Formats: sequence, C-alpha cells, structure tokens
Amino acid sequence: MVIVAAMVAATVALPALAADLEAGRRKSEPCARCHGDGGNATVPGTPSLAGQPAWFTHWALVKFRDGRRKDPMMSPVAANLSDADMADLAAYYATLPPRPRPQTLDAAKAAAGQRLAVSHHCTSCHRPDLGGQHQVPRLAGQDLDYLLRLLRAYRAGTAGDLEGLMTLAAQPLSDADIENLAHYIAGLTPAP
Amino acid sequence: MRRITLTSLALALGVVLALAPLVLAQQPPPAWKQGQSPELADSPLAPVPLPPTPTPAKDIPVDKIKLPPGFTISVWADGLHNARQMAWGTRGTLFVGTRVAGSVYAVVDRGDRREVKVIAKGLAQPSGVAFKDGALYVAEIPRLLKYENIEASLDNPPAPKVVYEFPKDAHHNWRFLLWGPDGKLYFNMGAPCNICMPPDTHANISRVNPDGTGFEYYARGVRNSTGADFHPVTKELYFVSHGRDWMGDEIPNDTLHHAPRPGFHFGYPYCHQGDIVDPDFGRGRSCSEFAPPLLKLGPHVAPIGFRFYTGSLFPPQYRNVAFSAQKGSWNRTVKIGYRVMTVELKPGQPPKYEVFADGFHQGDKVLGRPTHIEWMPDGSMLLSDDYHGAIYHITYRR
Ligand code: HEC
Ligand code: HEC
Repeated sequence: MVIVAAMVAATVALPALAADLEAGRRKSEPCARCHGDGGNATVPGTPSLAGQPAWFTHWALVKFRDGRRKDPMMSPVAANLSDADMADLAAYYATLPPRPRPQTLDAAKAAAGQRLAVSHHCTSCHRPDLGGQHQVPRLAGQDLDYLLRLLRAYRAGTAGDLEGLMTLAAQPLSDADIENLAHYIAGLTPAP
Repeated sequence: MRRITLTSLALALGVVLALAPLVLAQQPPPAWKQGQSPELADSPLAPVPLPPTPTPAKDIPVDKIKLPPGFTISVWADGLHNARQMAWGTRGTLFVGTRVAGSVYAVVDRGDRREVKVIAKGLAQPSGVAFKDGALYVAEIPRLLKYENIEASLDNPPAPKVVYEFPKDAHHNWRFLLWGPDGKLYFNMGAPCNICMPPDTHANISRVNPDGTGFEYYARGVRNSTGADFHPVTKELYFVSHGRDWMGDEIPNDTLHHAPRPGFHFGYPYCHQGDIVDPDFGRGRSCSEFAPPLLKLGPHVAPIGFRFYTGSLFPPQYRNVAFSAQKGSWNRTVKIGYRVMTVELKPGQPPKYEVFADGFHQGDKVLGRPTHIEWMPDGSMLLSDDYHGAIYHITYRR
C-alpha cells in the first residue's frame, strides 16, 4: 500500500482537498447506522466505506446527489450533502482501517475468481491488491451481495459509471464469472 | 456453499491453483491500456484522474503561466467542475459543458463577479455545447439535446428535446459541437478504443441539420478529434486529433488536419501521423493511401480546443491565427503539452507553430489542463481548465 501511494504521488500531484477530518467524523455519525462503526458495515448488501480512496467516495456521493447513481436508501442521504460535507466525509473514511467482513464464501468459486481477476485485468485499474486508487474503489474484502449487485449493474450499464471504463470491463463477464469474481474479492483481506 | 474462514480460503486457493494450471483465455485489456506492447506491460502510466470537486480560485496557480509580453491571465470564473467546451448565448450567457462532472453550466457576467448556474446535471459526459436561434445544443455521449429559449429560463430550464441519438459507446465519444458555414452541426465520433478496427459508425467527424435530420459522415479515419474550427477566410474545416497510445514516448504525434471537402480518410487505424504504418492494423497498407496531417503537434500533447482568432484586441500578427489548447500527456514518461500553442497558416508555406501559454505543469505535477477556447466580445480569450474546474481570461494590453 505504501509503495503504491508513493508511486501514485510521483506520477500525479493531487490538489489537496480542503477537508476537515474532525468534521468528517462528526458528519459520519448518521451514516454508521447502515455503514457500520468505523465505516465497516455488517449489513449484507451495504458496502463498507473504510479505507476507500477519498476521490472514489467523493465521486460516489456526487453521483448519488446528481442522480447518475440511484438507491432508495442512499439517494435521499446524498441529496442533503454539500460539496464540503462530501470532501470531509470522503477524507475521513479514507483514514479508517478496513476490516474483513464475516461472510459465507465458496472456495472453488473464489479460486476461479482469482484467475479471472488477472485475465480480465481487474488488477490493472483496482491495483494488484485490489486496494483501489484515486477514483477507482477498493474491492478487497467488500460485501459479497454488494459486489454481485454492482457487477451486474455495471454489466447492464445501469451503475452510473463516471467514465464508462468499468462498464466496458464488465461487458464480457458471464453470470458464473461474476459469482466467481465476487467470491474471490470478498474473501481478500483488505490491506490496512 | 459452506462457511469458511479466511485462512482456509487462502489454503483452498493454494490447493486449487496448484492442481489446476492456468488455462484461461486472456481478455482484452481495459480500453486505455489496450494496444500496450509487452515491454510496457508494467508501466505505471495511466490517464490523469480528475478531482471530484473544483478548485477555489485562490488555490489555482495561475501565476505560474507564462505568456508573450503584453498578455495577462487571470481566473475569470471558478466552481465550474470539470469545465470543457464553451458557447455564448445571444444575451451574454456563457454555456459550459463538462465530461465526468455530468453537468452543464450557465455563467452570467455580473461585472465584478461571475454567477454560475447549473442548468443540467447527471448527464453522460456532456462535453459539447453550441448555441443557435435562442437554443442551447448539448452533446452528451448517447444524445444530442436541445434546450429551447434557454436564456429566458436559466433558473428553471425547460426539459430538453432529443434531436439526435449517437452510438452509446463512451470511450473517445465525449464530443465537441461546431456550426458549419452550411448551417449544419459538426461533431466527432471517436474510436471506441486505443487501437482497433473501428466499426463504420466510429472514428469520424460527422454533421447533422439542426433538427437532427440529414446525418452525414464528413471525415473518416479520425481516431479522436476533440476540437475543430472553420477557417475565417476560406471557410474550410481544420481539426486536431489524438494519436494512439503505447507506442512509446516519442511516437506517434497528435495531429492537425485540413478537410476542405467531405470524403477524406485520415489514416486511422492503418497509418499514424501521416508516416507511421500501424504495427498491427497497417499490415499491407501504406500511408500514401490516406490524407496526411497538415502539422505534427507533438507526441501525446492531447490537443483539445482549436479556434481561429478573428478579433482585433490581440496584436495584428494574430489575425486568423489558430490557437490549440493542449491538456497534456499521460502516456509519456516525461510530461508534455499542458500549454496553448499558435498555428499560423499561410498559403504555400509550412505552418508556423509556436508556444503561446505555457506552464500548466511543473515536472510531474499537474498545475492545470487547458481544454477549450472561446472569445470574449472584446477579442480577449476565455480558456477552460477541466482539472481545476475554472475559466481563465487571457487579455492583451499594449
Ligand atoms: C439507510 C441506510 C444508509 C445510510 C444512513 C447511509 N447509507 Fe450510504 N449506502 C447505503 C446503501 C444500501 C448503499 C449501496 C447502494 C447501491 O447499491 O448502490 C450505500 C452506498 C454508499 C456509498 C457508495 C459505496 C461504494 O462502494 O460504491 C457511499 C460512498 C456511501 N453510501 C456513503 C454514505 C455516507 C457518507 C452516509 C452518511 C452521510 C451514508 N452513506 C448513509 C445505505 C446507507
Ligand atoms: C479500466 C479500469 C477498470 C477495470 C479494468 C476494472 N475496473 Fe472495476 N471499477 C473501475 C472504476 C473507475 C470504478 C468506479 C466507476 C464508477 O464511477 O462507477 C470501478 C468500480 C468497480 C466496482 C464497484 C465497487 C464499489 O464499491 O462501488 C466493482 C465491484 C468492480 N469495479 C469490480 C471490477 C472487477 C471484478 C473487474 C475485472 C473484471 C474490474 N472491476 C475491472 C475501473 C476498472
């Protein structure tokens, strides 16, 4: 993770988001009901936010607010967030350590998924440890149901993708590929 | 399915992997990585990620930009997240498209300050904007939209009419819009890949009537053009295009082209920059089959906005000179571009290509990405920056 961060810093200079971590912690209190303590959710189908790259979380909130991404639980939450709220929340969640989620996984599917993650170049955008970078989300250790839902949505072109790159990546996936990938990804121990 | 612990999963994975050698078809790589040669497979180069929020004017390093004597630059408007193409309404509103921000803005000049209104949001990369007869035209990836009588309803914009439907592929299909001297609307339909045999519907510049009828291809073999203009005197089309990636730092060049009539093929995917046959798609082909570029702009410089100068504020030598805004490279180990160039075209002479505004990067650090150009009524320049989400004002005083 440290190596990745250093390499990224050398290739692009990110403008410092004027984010306030303490304000982010305060603003995240109402989110814990669904996204868990410390951003590690336990409700199946609800994603963990801990350790997500700040730009990813921020972009996800922007898309819920402007309607490109829709969810009955999340859309009303994002509708009331200002740009500053989003910057604070995104910066705060990026500092929290992600924890593995207790979930039921199938080892044979996961083994097939590991090969797919390489052959489908998932690792080239999401990084080799699937820890994410910039606007590309961390996948490692994410919730199984959530991964399944999102991969199907990207394949169907309904995920509200920012640039269309993930939609493109999901096009060749069969139903079985999606199952296998999700079981592999969900079982990875997220790097701290 | 059974409940397993993470350790047993890891062990199981090891066992399965040891027993089953990898026999799996390799998938095409992600669009931006595709065409990468094996020697470059571990390259850390990737497109510059765009910030989720615009930069406040006070934090934009506009003082780092170098200009010829007499010219000055300042931030004219900020808070225009990911600003791209600009177009004036007839009542003085500046309309601004965006890519990943998904919004279209209207900027109203209040003299000492600029008021920014969001007139559309949640669109799919609505980068192209054009204005005619009271209506704003917006090109997003899948659709050409028309907002009628827009300047009378900036605070309560009407629902748009869908004038034309484009192919839905997103890659290289964020568009510019340009009115032709024939009253038609011109736009790009880029190759949906880095290098591939594009379907017939892609890798071209095309035009439609303002009501969406009469679609025609105008130029073919164009990989990814994001800026074009008609010459003020000859009324002929000039356009810039981005060369392919992953052939190394020095090739191929991005290019400036001249399309005086419809029907030319400019080489993609067979021939790049007029003299490099593509290692895969060019087999058995020759560059002499295609219309050559007028000028090589530099490798990976990423030319976006391209506009001829017809004003009278800048010194007389700028009359009818073209300005090329170049947002800058990602597919190159040493950054290049991040500048605005001028191109002087004189009959019978090679184009004169010079630096106008420079310094939008410092080494590896991105200080801004100049994207599109629009002219102020007094002849000064507006320049959008899709990285900081701002519009700069470049003016001249003797
Ligand atoms: C009522 C439950 C609920 C609350 C409260 C809630 N969320 Fe969510 N959130 C969800 C669900 C469910 C999803 C998954 C939506 C989907 O499937 O697209 C989600 C998705 C997200 C995502 C996208 C994550 C990803 O990996 O794509 C972000 C970011 C997010 N929420 C942030 C927040 C923040 C910040 C707050 C508090 C301000 C918050 N949420 C409050 C239920 C909730
Ligand atoms: C070209 C780069 C690229 C490739 C290749 C790629 N992804 Fe993605 N992925 C992204 C980006 C960018 C996003 C966020 C997109 C958005 O704005 O909606 C994303 C989002 C996701 C999400 C949603 C996660 C969340 O928390 O919301 C999942 C799941 C995912 N990718 C899995 C995969 C898998 C599995 C593969 C390989 C089959 C893959 N990705 C390949 C770039 C990529």
